[in-house]
Order: sequence, then structure tokens, then C-alpha cells
Amino acid sequence: MSDFLRSYLTVGIFGLIGVALVGVFLGLGKILRPNKPTLAKTEAYESGVEPTGDMWSQANIRYYVFALLFVMFDVEAVFIFPWATRLEAYGTFGLIEMAIFIFILLLGLLYAWRKGVLKWA
Amino acid sequence: MLALLAQEVDFVRPAIDWHAVAPELTLLAFGALVTVMDIVWLERGRRLTSSVASIALLVTMIPIVTLALDGEDRVMFGGAFVVDNYALVMKAMFLVAGYVVVLLSTNYVAEGDYWESEYYGLLLSSILGMVLMASARDLITVFVALELLSIPAYMLATWRKRDLKSNEAGLKYYLMGVFASAIMLYGMSLLYGGAGSTLLADINEAVSVDGSPSAIVVVGVIFVIIGFAFKVSAFPFHTWAPDTYEGAPTPVTAFLSVASKAAGFVALLNLLFVGFFGRDDVYEPLIWILAAASMTVGNLVALRQTNLVRMLAYSGVAQAGYMLAPLAVASDVGDAALTATVTYLLVYAAMNLGAFAIVLAVARKTRSAEIDSFKGLFGYAPGLTIAMSVFLFSLAGIPPLGGWWAKFRVMEAVIEAESASGVVLGVFVAVNSVIALYYYARIGLGMWAEDAPNGDTTPIRVPASLVSALAITAALTIAFGVYPPLVSEFDVTLLAGGLGG
Amino acid sequence: MLLNQFLLLSAVLFCLGVYGVLARKNGMLVLMSVELILNAVNINLVAFGAFRADVGGSVFALFTIAVAAAEVGIGLAIVLLMYRNRRSIDLTQADLLKG
Repeated sequence: MSDFLRSYLTVGIFGLIGVALVGVFLGLGKILRPNKPTLAKTEAYESGVEPTGDMWSQANIRYYVFALLFVMFDVEAVFIFPWATRLEAYGTFGLIEMAIFIFILLLGLLYAWRKGVLKWA
Repeated sequence: MLALLAQEVDFVRPAIDWHAVAPELTLLAFGALVTVMDIVWLERGRRLTSSVASIALLVTMIPIVTLALDGEDRVMFGGAFVVDNYALVMKAMFLVAGYVVVLLSTNYVAEGDYWESEYYGLLLSSILGMVLMASARDLITVFVALELLSIPAYMLATWRKRDLKSNEAGLKYYLMGVFASAIMLYGMSLLYGGAGSTLLADINEAVSVDGSPSAIVVVGVIFVIIGFAFKVSAFPFHTWAPDTYEGAPTPVTAFLSVASKAAGFVALLNLLFVGFFGRDDVYEPLIWILAAASMTVGNLVALRQTNLVRMLAYSGVAQAGYMLAPLAVASDVGDAALTATVTYLLVYAAMNLGAFAIVLAVARKTRSAEIDSFKGLFGYAPGLTIAMSVFLFSLAGIPPLGGWWAKFRVMEAVIEAESASGVVLGVFVAVNSVIALYYYARIGLGMWAEDAPNGDTTPIRVPASLVSALAITAALTIAFGVYPPLVSEFDVTLLAGGLGG
Repeated sequence: MLLNQFLLLSAVLFCLGVYGVLARKNGMLVLMSVELILNAVNINLVAFGAFRADVGGSVFALFTIAVAAAEVGIGLAIVLLMYRNRRSIDLTQADLLKG
């Protein structure tokens, strides 16, 4: 067996031991503990408050706009990270380029702000 | 991945030829200006935006003219961005088409109270994508340009927010467009894998080795072509076009059917002639089938349309077939195929925009684009009738109008190939031109000879912007046909430009 | 370098995505399927880039990620608009335009 596969064997054995440990402890508990279910015990725990409603409730539509704005600006960071790793090498040229990039992004954010998208009410 | 990026130890500042990128930068600056105006003035800036947009397009023509006078080919970013005669001709076409679309939109958008600032901002960014596409000679640039021109177009098609038809038009356009660009991207990723470079010139070198192509290259080329077949609405990828054209606001429809389609063709030309010209055994049969099927199906379905916009959509499918035809024999005739397609694109832009301008003008009175509502038009709007006849007969390819010359160039290219497939394709073009004549002539006959429905003959008041749009398109349509050197002048410089081959 | 496994994974993702786009009737699920195709593309690009020790693939993947986000943003907005006007995102109900 090659060294490459042997190292995976170790991972496999560790995995098996892990699964076996969890199984043994949970199984022991199941055998040893008394079993008396009541309604209050099976209910979902919500900080002591009695749970109400369905768990598939619809999120408010307003979250969508915030989520969308977040995704946009979050993803644009993929261009900033590579630039940041080589900041010194790119020098002033890189700085100006990034300033232009961020200015255009900022226009979008300013637009959203002026149109009142960022207000909750 | 970041580690891989960091391996590039010595960074050399790329040389930027500011003159070459001036058109793109100008458009970008004006696009930002429209947004800033909106941010600063909100509603008060609305009146100005349409004029700012038209000024933007006219100002952008200046660097294009100076670049053309300079006449020198400019290559930047290791060959990813090229300004040659071909690129300049296409850029000028996009700008003029964009200008005409702004003229068409001015009254429509203002009267409909449709978010003007955003409308023109998005229109400018879409045109920026097209202008960039003309220079793109690299997979990444082609992809970014394509998305830059498509994403605003999805929004423009959905512009009438409360209208279910406009919603549906945008939804269909979006889903088809995104699906197509995803498939095209998958093809691009395979081409990149086959060549190890995103530059089209390098890809050509890697895929054009003699012998049968590797599976990766075949699938890559086919997927990329299918992706653009959606964009140019070639059969069987045309299904979105009639629905989107009917539901979208009419000026946007004009924009999609002319500029967006032309941009798809420009990308296709870049890829075919620079990217995989040597792999003709893969792309030629595919393009041949797309071309023959598009003209035949487009024309046959157009025959039984009752709505003029839908009819123009199917006629657009057929026209895309004519434009694809020379590309199916590209390896035999080389640059002649390129010039034929470019000529057709220029003429098609003029005549189709003109036809949509008439639809807009007539719909101001009749509120309908049904073919029946055009009956008896001569009785109360003789000027519009004459202009519409010019556009329709040009679309049908009757001399001495522009469409005739364009079709002639296409026929010339496919016959010149001296191959059986070329001649058969030529027969397809000829037969389809006759079929097309029938439905174009039917509208013409209705306008000239029949009576207006319900006898309403109050004249149409055509606003000045529509009149100038009509004047520009009609003048170009006639000039291209009467004086062909106007377009064939480009041919010569294009040959000198030496794209691919 | 293991290239085949990556390509296989990406081909499987691509096929799942294409199946999803063609078979699903729910607008949201179609958008998700398109994302699957785009992720297949990214895997391809990064795998080929690493295989050929070329940064071009990674750069292309960055552009794909950013543009895909913009595209899906618009898609969500359009689907949401459809929901507002129709109270449904079943694509088969969008059938006003035909002929």
C-alpha cells in the first residue's frame, strides 16, 4: 500500500473511532435512562417562552433589498482581496485604480441611500 | 488561489493607450454623471437625462473619429484589447444605433413616467458593453462585455413594472439569456483548458493543430457558438425573442433587436475569426445548420403573425440566418465572409430601427401594434407610409435600397466559396427572400390600398425626436443602397485591418 | 496533479444544473440551477489554471463570481416582481405572450 493511501487509512480509523464513541455513549444513555415522554418535554425550547406559529414563516420582503445590497458589495470584495495581497507592488497606480473601482461601487450605495432604500419604514 | 496570484512577483504597470480607450472611458464617465445627477437632484434631474444621454453618445463619437483618422491599429493588454478598423466601424454603429434608440425613447419614457434617470443610465452602460465588445479579443473581456451589455438589457425589458406582459418579457429574456451565458461560459472554460490562455489568438494556435480536434475543443467551440446563437436569436434558440419583443417597451425592443443582436454577432465574429478560425471542421457545419434553419423557420412563422412586432421578431430570426450564412463558408472565402456579415449588420441596424420608429409613431395614435391597425395608413399619414415602405422593401431586399446590397454581398460570399454547401446555402437565401417578400408586401398593400379600420383618419402628431430618428434611419437605408461604396468603403479598410484569416 | 476528478465533478454539476433549468417550474429553483452551472464553470477554470500553473484561470473565475452575483441579483428582482404582480413564481403561469 502506498504512503499516500496509508495516510488516508489513519483518517479512516480515526473516523470510525469517533463514530463508535458517539454511538456507545448515546446507546448507553438510551438503555440506562427512564423513558416518560410528556407534551411539555417534546416541545421546541424557545428561551422559556411558549412557541407560537409555524416554523416556515415568510420573512419580511424588506429583508430582500438589504440582502441583495449585502451580496453585491460582499462579492465585489473578490477584486479587492487579490489587490490587497500585492498592495506595495502595485503602488500608486494600483491605489488609483482601486479608488476608481470603489468610487463606482460607492455610487451604487449612494443611489440606494438617496432613493430611501436603506430606511426601514 | 491567492497564493498563486502572489507568485507573480514583479508587477509591471500595463501601458495604457488613453486614446484607444477614450470611447469607453467617455461613456463610463457620462454613465456615472447620469447616476450622480440622479443622486444629487433626484426628481429634478429627470428632464435633463435624455439630453445628457444623447450628448454622451455624440461626444463618444469624437474619439472614434480621431482614431479612424489616425488609422493606426492599437493593441493593448497583450492583445486582449484591440482597436482596428473593424472595431471602429462596429463601435460607430453601436453609438449611432444607441443615439437613435435615445431619440425613440425620449417621448415614450417621459410620457409613460418611467424612471428616466435609471433608464438612460442603464442604456448607456449597455452601450458601453457593446462598444467594449467590438475591441474584445480575450475570453474574459468578451465575457465581461457580454454581461455588461446584457444585464442592463434584462432590466430595460422589464421596465414597465406593473405590466404583466413586460414582467413576462423580462423574465423570459432573463432566464434564456442567463442559461445561454452559463452554457457559453462552460464552453469558454473548456477552451481555456485546451489552450492554457484566455487570449483568442493563443486559443486559435492551440485548437488549430492539424488532425481531428480533441473532445474538449469540440465541446468548447459548440457550447460557445450555442451561447451566442441565443443572443442573436437564431433558430432553435430564438424562442425568447418574439415574446420579449412584444412585451418589452417598444424602444427597448428596437434596442434589443438591433444593438443587442449586433453585439452578439460582433462577439461571434471575434471568436470565429480570431479564436478558432482554423477549426472550421467544427464550426462550419454547426453555423450552416443554424443559418439555414433560422431563415426558413423565421420566415415561415413570420407569415402567419398578426402582430407587427412579433412579425418583426420572426423576420429578425430570418435576418440572423442571412447574417450567419457567410460565416458557414468562412474558411473558404476568409475576409469576404467578414465583410458580408458586417455590411449586413450595418444595413440591418438602419432599416430595422426605422421600422420600429414607425411602429412607435403609429402606436401613439392607435395604441396597438396589430398589422390590421396599419391599414389605410396612407390616407392620414402619407409620410409615415412612404418611410415604412422604404424600410419594409429594404428588409425584403429590393433594389435600390440598402437591404438589397446587403443580401447581394451575402450571396456573393456563399457563391464565391465554390463548394456544394455554399451553393445550397445560396439557394436557401434566394428562396427565403421570395417568401419574405410576401409578408412584407402584405403590410405595404394594407397601408396603401385598404381603408382605415373604423374609418378613423385623424392625422398622427409625430414628435420631433421621432422625426429625426426616422430621418436618420431612412437616409442611411437609402444611402447604403443607392451608393454602396458607403459601406464597401469600410470593406477595404477592414481587409487592411486584417482580422484573423 | 488530479485533473480528471475535478473535471468529472464539474461535468456532473453542469448536467445537474442543465437538468434543473429545463425541468423546474419554480423561478427560484431555476436560478439556483443556473448557479450550479456557474459553479461548474468555476471549478473547471480553477482546476485548469492550477493544472497549467497559469493565473488566468483564477482571474477568470473571480470575474465569473462577481458577474454571477450581479446577474442573480437582477434575476431575484425580476422573480420578486413577478411574485408581487401575480402572487406566484410558477414559471408555467407566465403564458400571456405566445404565437
